Amino acid sequence: MTERETEADLTARLRAALHEVGEAEADIYVRSARRGFARFSVGRLDQHMQIEEPGALVRVARGRSVAEVSTTDLSEQSLVLALESAARLAPRIPEDPHFPGFAGDQPPPAAHATRFAAATANCDAERRVALLTPLFGLVERAGLLATGALDTTTAIEAVATTHGLVRAHSGTSATFKIWALDSAGAGGAAGHGHDAAVDVERLDLEHETQHAIDDALRGRNPIALPAGAYDTVLEAPAVAELIEWLAIIGFGAREFQQGASPLSGRLGERISGAALSVVEDPLGEQGFAAPFDRDGVTRERVPLIERGVARGFLSDRAWAKRLASTSTGSATPASSFSEGGPASSALVVAPGDAADSAQLVCGVERGLLVRRLHYVNGMLEPRRAVMTGLTRDGTFLIENGKVTRAVGNLRFTDSLLEAFERVDGVTRGRRLVPNWWSESGVTFVPAIRVRGFRFSGKSQRGETP
Amino acid sequence: MPFAPHVRALAELALERARRDTDITYAEVRWVDERSERLRIRDGAPDGISEYSSKGFGVRVLAQGAWGFACTPLATEAAVVRAVTEAAAIARASARVSTARVVFPQAEPQRGRYATRVDVEPFAVPFEQKLADLSAAESELRRGGGPIRSAEAWMSWTEVEKLLLTSEGTDVEQRFVYGGAGMQAIAVGDDGSMQRRSFPGTPGTEPQQCGYEAVAAARLSDHAPRVRDEAIALLRAEPCPAGARDVILASSQMALQIHESCGHPTELDRALGSEISLAGGSFLQPEQLGKLRYGSPIVTLTADSTAALGLGTFGWDDEGTPAKKTSLIEEGVFVDYLSSRETAAALGRRSTGTVRASSWNRLPMIRMVNVSLEPRQGSLDDLIADTADGLLFDTNKSWSIDDLRLNFQFSCELVWEIKHGKRARLFRDARYTGVTPEFWSRCDAICGPEEARIWGLATCGKGDPIQPMQVAHGAPPARFRRIEVGHS
Repeated sequence: MTERETEADLTARLRAALHEVGEAEADIYVRSARRGFARFSVGRLDQHMQIEEPGALVRVARGRSVAEVSTTDLSEQSLVLALESAARLAPRIPEDPHFPGFAGDQPPPAAHATRFAAATANCDAERRVALLTPLFGLVERAGLLATGALDTTTAIEAVATTHGLVRAHSGTSATFKIWALDSAGAGGAAGHGHDAAVDVERLDLEHETQHAIDDALRGRNPIALPAGAYDTVLEAPAVAELIEWLAIIGFGAREFQQGASPLSGRLGERISGAALSVVEDPLGEQGFAAPFDRDGVTRERVPLIERGVARGFLSDRAWAKRLASTSTGSATPASSFSEGGPASSALVVAPGDAADSAQLVCGVERGLLVRRLHYVNGMLEPRRAVMTGLTRDGTFLIENGKVTRAVGNLRFTDSLLEAFERVDGVTRGRRLVPNWWSESGVTFVPAIRVRGFRFSGKSQRGETP
Repeated sequence: MPFAPHVRALAELALERARRDTDITYAEVRWVDERSERLRIRDGAPDGISEYSSKGFGVRVLAQGAWGFACTPLATEAAVVRAVTEAAAIARASARVSTARVVFPQAEPQRGRYATRVDVEPFAVPFEQKLADLSAAESELRRGGGPIRSAEAWMSWTEVEKLLLTSEGTDVEQRFVYGGAGMQAIAVGDDGSMQRRSFPGTPGTEPQQCGYEAVAAARLSDHAPRVRDEAIALLRAEPCPAGARDVILASSQMALQIHESCGHPTELDRALGSEISLAGGSFLQPEQLGKLRYGSPIVTLTADSTAALGLGTFGWDDEGTPAKKTSLIEEGVFVDYLSSRETAAALGRRSTGTVRASSWNRLPMIRMVNVSLEPRQGSLDDLIADTADGLLFDTNKSWSIDDLRLNFQFSCELVWEIKHGKRARLFRDARYTGVTPEFWSRCDAICGPEEARIWGLATCGKGDPIQPMQVAHGAPPARFRRIEVGHS
């Protein structure tokens, strides 16, 4: 996508390639992105990049034997060569009894939020610098160091199959994250701000930067707290990390079938507290996903957990066939970090009725306010969704309903499902948090208050005893 | 095998265009051509059998004292010239907001070719044989049915051809071949509990830089009955009691311990603050070089980009620095970093040669190479026999460490209690936790070279946007005294 490609041109090329090869059962999926990525540290734009991310995946089936071939060359000639390679490979592969065939024409979604903004697509290096320069000044004047990134991405996705399915979608995303730091890389106080939108001009850069500065200044001279159970207010970015891991271990059909998911064998049963309701809502207002998945199937809204009761899981065409169910339009291609398969694209956690996290803080006699979590891992006991991780970029002591001072980072180890049994406050407002590990996945979450959140240890650095 | 003439010609054209731009004081052009195969058999059926291909040019320039990077998948004159123009424009834009000019020390130009030593070319092995090798192991895992809910065996092979030309005159070609095979069984009990067992290590740690000979050496089918039985046995195992115990890390877990608590914190860009936007900083700060006691005197950790089989082995890094072996921790003392030319110069040092980009469309940055614990002597059996009361942790299950790489917590699939020098009970869902320098200072025994397998990690994540990188760890088993353990 070195020049902005039109949906019409791309789909015409996919159709032509399929036609030229003449296979009876084949499909092509393309995702091609152009990213302007300005990564800065210590007030310097030291990693500023223009990145091309082209990719085509073609599949050819001979009977039930399926081969997949990929290429980063999106020319028609290259797509034809990839299809021919897959056609040569397919007969050498054993049959997959669960192969469902490739998708036929799909009904379009009833509604799909606009995902494209010209301002993001046209944002060049000069504009990114212009957006960031005043923020560097803000942080510097506060006596702190700025680190972070601004990413402006334009992506086009398309699918075509030999069963007549042809779909394409163009979208943009702009994500911003900033840290205000006491020291460059040695720890010390840190504050964090973030925002994400389809339109780069809608990012609230100054507000988020000021938030980062305020937290960094408030985070100085932390005290050390011992491990133990604390009533804890988890801000939205912290909740998002936990929900992302719940999705990784629990919401895909593969984990469900393997008996590894917390939902396996428990659909219709209560598995967590009433405060936990999660829905996959890929066509809603929040997020950056195309309206269709890697198979070309229209993405669906899927209730996963409703008021603590397990309700559903995410599937693609292959896993739907295997489990005698239907695809939820959740197919993802393999990547370096994932073998692909059913996965979420927009997880939405139900809001509560608290005005904001400050109101949640008011209800804590002695506890913690946690801005973010770091290096969460949910593989300890996936069936119980036991997770561990650390606090980061703002951990504060709450005393008598007020935030009083900074606390050194702590390690938590707790079952997310059991923790949600102890949630007694959820905010109305929610934040959009892009998943760090996926190209377009997001989580839209509120802040929550957990009674007795279990902290198992503490980080060892610079706290006042 | 030399590069296609048109690829070299385009790289030279890009470099020539960069030289014409008087703002540009340094330029490098990389061509990367990567292909791979991924094969997986799951529950008796193929699942995700694919061939992958990616190729393109990456251009990094230093102009007006700032860096710029651009890339293109197109092997055309117009595309490479445009990439140079874009990279220069980005550098100029960035220069206006930078508070200090980049100091990038000159280096002697390098010339030559590196290639992985391969006994059996993996891409020449018929698909049918690869699938048969996997099916044999996978069906063995499922034999007998019972609590085994799911079984899988997988294999991946990658070949990368890389050309690097720089404005200093460096012209190096490299060919890398790496891959391996692994398997996993998932057992589910009547009560709904679930346990996994993986082999040869945590999924994704099996690749080595070698040929298909690695598959025969892995002997998946031979190990499958044991792996299956262990998965089933774990369903009945007791949880690990909490307390302070002597801990032996088996080789596969030692690799993860090295990776998280030595590899990442010795990355100099982290220590200087460039990695905050994804992974964090480091407790190892420059003023501690040569002073900080990181571990006990028997602990020496090295960065070695020349080690056989290691995924971090090469001829030159992506800045043209030749491969070398460097001590990071020498007899327990922190002595050096993984560094680049720019970051090393900031400390008045020379690059340790650890800069790589994950693909043509990513910026080169500091990455681990083969970061390894130097072996001492004795076998794992000797070490177990020498342990009166302890735990043996094998095959990582979960991993977490703080943003400075101090407080860590790992759990393992398989944890054996050791009593009076012998394996006793099996524990499930056991974890250990510690603080990096304190943990390594409790190391009192390290096994010999015969136990020090080199484990690959093909997808170490770093950078923003994230870059999966191939790194490795030579990991002899070792013992640590009085470590906090428990059950998840």
